Amino acid sequence: MSFASLAARLHLLRIGVGWPGALVALLAITFLLSRSDSSAQPQNSEPSVRVPSNVAWTEETLEIISGGDPFRGLILSRRCSHCHGQEGFSSVPTFPNLAGEDRLSFWKQMQDFRSAKRTSPVMQGIADGLSARDSSDLAAYYEMLPRASDPQDNRAFPQAMPDPARAPMAIRIIVFGDARRGIPPCQSCHGPVSYVRGAPPLSTQNGSYLEQQLEHFSNGYRTNDINVRMRSIARQLTPEEKTAVAEYYGAGLGP
Amino acid sequence: MALVGLVLLSTRYYMVDLPVWRSFGGGKGPDPTTLHLQGEFVESNLGTAEGPAGSLTVRMIAQQFVFVPQCIVVPMGVPITFRITSADVVHMLSFLGTNSGIKAVPGSVTEGTFTFAKEGEFKIPCHEFCGAGHHAMRGQLNVVPGDHFASLLPGERRTCELR
Repeated sequence: MSFASLAARLHLLRIGVGWPGALVALLAITFLLSRSDSSAQPQNSEPSVRVPSNVAWTEETLEIISGGDPFRGLILSRRCSHCHGQEGFSSVPTFPNLAGEDRLSFWKQMQDFRSAKRTSPVMQGIADGLSARDSSDLAAYYEMLPRASDPQDNRAFPQAMPDPARAPMAIRIIVFGDARRGIPPCQSCHGPVSYVRGAPPLSTQNGSYLEQQLEHFSNGYRTNDINVRMRSIARQLTPEEKTAVAEYYGAGLGP
Repeated sequence: MALVGLVLLSTRYYMVDLPVWRSFGGGKGPDPTTLHLQGEFVESNLGTAEGPAGSLTVRMIAQQFVFVPQCIVVPMGVPITFRITSADVVHMLSFLGTNSGIKAVPGSVTEGTFTFAKEGEFKIPCHEFCGAGHHAMRGQLNVVPGDHFASLLPGERRTCELR
């Protein structure tokens, strides 16, 4: 049998079975979707479900993350160091620093990039090539990196506050929050006072990156926070407060 | 002696708070860690919703240290059912200016029906110590006159902007 005839046969086969198969699959999907819609209507009709992130802090997830191997992470991290720095401190202030990053938060962001729950033209492509295990290895590695300063490293990190007069405003938001407007203090979730799962530490984060993310949370560009937590808070902050908090943390002054 | 006993009992009450509330909930409530994935507390289902018979239901999540949605809007003089759960620890909503409150317990749904007789904006502070940001955990309830509250579409969920 010649290669051409084999190819022709295969082609015929694909047309003969593939299209009806796809049709059946489509019908099945439609049927399933309509079923789930009707079953979800006992009390009142539900709007379409929006899932912010596929990650949930279940025991299995925590086990996957805590099983990360930092040495394997070190090897994998070579592809991260071009942007995020050899020591986890990036040279561009709009890229986040990863040194000392919280494992859970790192892992969740990687999964959200993979599932397109968090939008980033660069990171989505990179995270696609990393499995859940790779992410936990990288998380374990980056958590080990010291957050201490190293003048030899080409890093953007502490940037002096452009307007030091904004510091009191930043301190007020970071330490006390603003109860009248429903803004909890940053340090009650991001540390060092207390921590919440998935909240990254901010004390060595780049200010420009923080400001950008606060902006994205408040204007609805970034929506991968579980239970609308960060979106609710960022919406309450004024633009000036966002800048103040971001610059204060970016100057290395944050707790 | 009786006083000491009372104090001891009251501390016991707070210690057994969570398991007792769980047992009332029957242990069939939503898993607090997966509220955002499925069930009635996904983020697109929160807020004021209208049932088939015109009954109003408000669904909320209490979590460290924000209520979601932060601002809810309901009509005056109509019974409103609140369905609340917690994503982490025990919280309590108290509607300032009214004498109603409701507890939010992880792993179970607390339901309460209230009728608000006064219109206005009521703050909803968290009334159960829940952690370092407890003092700033505050939502808002807007009670509007019935004719100002446009009827909801079947799939619509109404919230408002906190000010």
